[in-house]
Amino acid sequence: MSRFSELLDDFFYRPDEDVGGLLEFAAGSDELQPLVPEETPEEYLAFLLEGECYAVPIRSIREIGKVPPLTEIPRAEPWLLGVMNLRGDVIPVYDLKLRLKLTDKASLVAGPDAPPPPRLARILVAHTEEGPAGVWVDAVKDVVRLKPSMLEPSPPGLGGERDCVVGIGRRNSELYILLDLEQALA
Amino acid sequence: MNPGGKALSEFVAEATEILDTLNKDLLTLDERRGQEADPELINGIFRAAHSLKGLAGLFGQDRISRLAHGMEDLLDRLRLGKLVMDDTALDALVESLDVLQALLVDASRGETSSSQSTRVEGLIERFTLMGAPAPPGEEDPLDRLELDAQVRAVFTEYEEHRLRENVRRGVALWRVRADFDLSDFDKGLAELNSRLKPVGEIISTLPSAQPSSASGIAFDLIFGSKVTGIELASALEGTPAQLSQLAARPPARGVVLTPAPVPRPAAPAAPPAASAALPAAPAHGAASVPAAPTEPRAPSTRRSGSRKSKASRPPPRPEPYQELPQPLLTPLPMMTPPPLPSQAFSEAGLGDSGSKGPRVDLDTSLRSLTQTVRVDIRRLDGLMNTVGELLLIKANLQRMTENARQEGTLVLSKAWVQELARETRQLERKLDALQSGLLEARMVPVGQVFDKLARLVRRIAREAGKEIDFLSTGGEVELDKLIVEELSDPLMHIIRNAIDHGVEPPEVRVAAGKSRRAAVSLRAEQKGNHVVIEVSDDGSGIDEQRVREVALQRNLITEAQAAEMNRRELLNLIFLPGFSTARNVSELSGRGVGLDVVKNNISNLSGLIDVWSERSRGTAFQLTLPLTLAIIRALVVGVSGRTYAVPLNSVLEILSIQPKDIRTVERREVLDLRGQTLPFTRLARLFGLPERNTGRHFVVVVGLAQERMGIAVDELFGQQDIVTKPLGGRLQSVRGISGATDLGNRRTVLVLDVAALLEDGMSPERRWA
Repeated sequence: MSRFSELLDDFFYRPDEDVGGLLEFAAGSDELQPLVPEETPEEYLAFLLEGECYAVPIRSIREIGKVPPLTEIPRAEPWLLGVMNLRGDVIPVYDLKLRLKLTDKASLVAGPDAPPPPRLARILVAHTEEGPAGVWVDAVKDVVRLKPSMLEPSPPGLGGERDCVVGIGRRNSELYILLDLEQALA
Repeated sequence: MNPGGKALSEFVAEATEILDTLNKDLLTLDERRGQEADPELINGIFRAAHSLKGLAGLFGQDRISRLAHGMEDLLDRLRLGKLVMDDTALDALVESLDVLQALLVDASRGETSSSQSTRVEGLIERFTLMGAPAPPGEEDPLDRLELDAQVRAVFTEYEEHRLRENVRRGVALWRVRADFDLSDFDKGLAELNSRLKPVGEIISTLPSAQPSSASGIAFDLIFGSKVTGIELASALEGTPAQLSQLAARPPARGVVLTPAPVPRPAAPAAPPAASAALPAAPAHGAASVPAAPTEPRAPSTRRSGSRKSKASRPPPRPEPYQELPQPLLTPLPMMTPPPLPSQAFSEAGLGDSGSKGPRVDLDTSLRSLTQTVRVDIRRLDGLMNTVGELLLIKANLQRMTENARQEGTLVLSKAWVQELARETRQLERKLDALQSGLLEARMVPVGQVFDKLARLVRRIAREAGKEIDFLSTGGEVELDKLIVEELSDPLMHIIRNAIDHGVEPPEVRVAAGKSRRAAVSLRAEQKGNHVVIEVSDDGSGIDEQRVREVALQRNLITEAQAAEMNRRELLNLIFLPGFSTARNVSELSGRGVGLDVVKNNISNLSGLIDVWSERSRGTAFQLTLPLTLAIIRALVVGVSGRTYAVPLNSVLEILSIQPKDIRTVERREVLDLRGQTLPFTRLARLFGLPERNTGRHFVVVVGLAQERMGIAVDELFGQQDIVTKPLGGRLQSVRGISGATDLGNRRTVLVLDVAALLEDGMSPERRWA
């Protein structure tokens, strides 16, 4: 093969080639505004709730852990699953599914009658203004870097009556529902 | 340690704090070398030196006392402007701080090293030699001020100096005249001071010769300020103060005074006699004032004339003891002056030390401003030792684990098991030591609060026109720092009630054949794991029939209930929320004002409050408090498979009952307990948990303050020491749970809030029928 055809080969598309970056570029150039060169991607933590993919800025998350034994708080709101002991601190754990109206029945995860938690379930410990708070997620997916250009405002009517959903993130073909944890836990 | 050891260590602790303040102020002064020294700063250092002198004298620390006296002397001359703050003076002050620190070390060891003594003498000599007076001006600026000679004669040396300084710099001088009622002039004056301070300098506060009424007292404040008269007037809005400017002739050498319009308030101001001034006071020879360095501060003796007896006149400016950090005040009764106005004043001063920021109301709180506990280093050393031994035990256990692992599945030797048992015992013992050591470090004497309250009592008594002998005992009893802090407000409330309403006016007492002076006493005593604090008075007592009437009127109880109540139960109605309202205050002579709040505060501390009263013989409130909240003993119970902890100090007894023992009254479940009806609640039902049919119940009888209730649970797991952690900001609103704890199996167990459960169980709208 000649040196020339080698160069040519590099130029042509191969089916196993990763063109995510190109597609991104193409998606960005669809808009009339030129790409802002200094836009910095932000890291989001993506997780699953009832099969849907949600994401929160990763700097709002203190840590991720397996589901410890939870102690239910009698007479508390239904979306308070209970409290957990995190290295000696008592931290409340919340159920976002109820808040987001993904389900209307609180899941039984605390107390003596609760089944062992699903293998993939995790608790995210988030920083909030009122101190740390735990959030139950069905599974942690990954960490994604989203540039501001990949974000779009949330379609109206999402996120229940609260403005928990602040937008939609789009990377390649994946959709991420972006949450405002402070709002969701208020 | 010798018998005086405790007193000595207290002295050392106090003196250290003063030295810290001195150190800080001197540092600030040092940083601004070369600039003109801030008079407030010099005053602060002067006060610190003065209180150190007093403190050292009190404890017989002669050398410290003498050196502090020398410093005070020097500072007095500095603040009077007789000496310029130059490098030599500052160096001498900084050096004396070092010497004081060294002397304190000596004192704590009970030694008297001669090398320090010579340093003291050397410094004192240097102080006295420092005498370069400030260059005197050709003309006394004070002469330019239109001020009545009579008024001028009563200024202290310091005030005169500040006045002169202000005139020389061309700062406008004002006379602020304010008329107050005698009963609360101290508050009014304190408010006026706090309004004025941010906009200028209060040079002197003089009682005026012409009060507006027989029960009034008027003051003239001489005030220097750079702001305009309009601003000044707006700063004083809402106070009874009237403004007038003191005119000053322009100086011979042409320093321009700030021209400021003189606003005349709308009120028909009786022009103060002194401002209809003689153009110039006779030259007083005051430019270089004859030195009286041995009398560093004696404002009252310096004032001529009869119109300011000290008792009716608050101090013209904060006196040395007033702006000390709070802890310094308490153990020094000698430094607390006998006349009362200044005390009230000093409490006000604590609220706004620094003259900026919102003024704190005198009555709002007696809590200290800091959450710190002073811990003796030897206690910490003890703790450190214990931790060291714990580490040794840990190493032993680690070694044993390693051995066991290497032996694999082999049967463990008897010796190994014995060693394990021994190490476990050691571990237990050391952990106990660690726990009690930590608790001890948190303990402070209740006397800290008692001393604050004692000062308050005199003021309240004066306001209420009562004659009170206040007696407090048991101040040395120690309680957890947190509890002591939380106690001050409830105690203040109860004592205020006792003086305002419990104690009769002197005339009434005499007519009733009692001694003219009433006795109010505050007593603390340790009883086992509790401390009992009692506030008692020998006043008129509580009229339980009036209590009954009011409770009926307010629908707090029904006629039927009232008929069943005994005297004690009737008395306890005063703790009901809603019992006291403004209207009832007069009807019931104010007894019960906010007592429900007091009760709540005490309940939050897991304490009990009880009242005893006998008509015309007096009233006593008894608070029973746990020694600490950090670690409490709890009863661990099980309900529907859940585990909860009940603080043992509110558990009265435990019963085992059959379902047939449960009766209902008005569809409410009750128990018959030895002939008494006991409210009864099932924890599972209260918490909405699935109930289990166990056939029989364990009933935990809890009591807090006067309430009693039986709580049914499924299982009893025994007692355990627990460390309660609050549920934190997000969960504060959860009712019935006071916190969470960890019983060792990494599971969080909730601690029941007995006070809230009692309320839930009692209030009719929450009946679980």
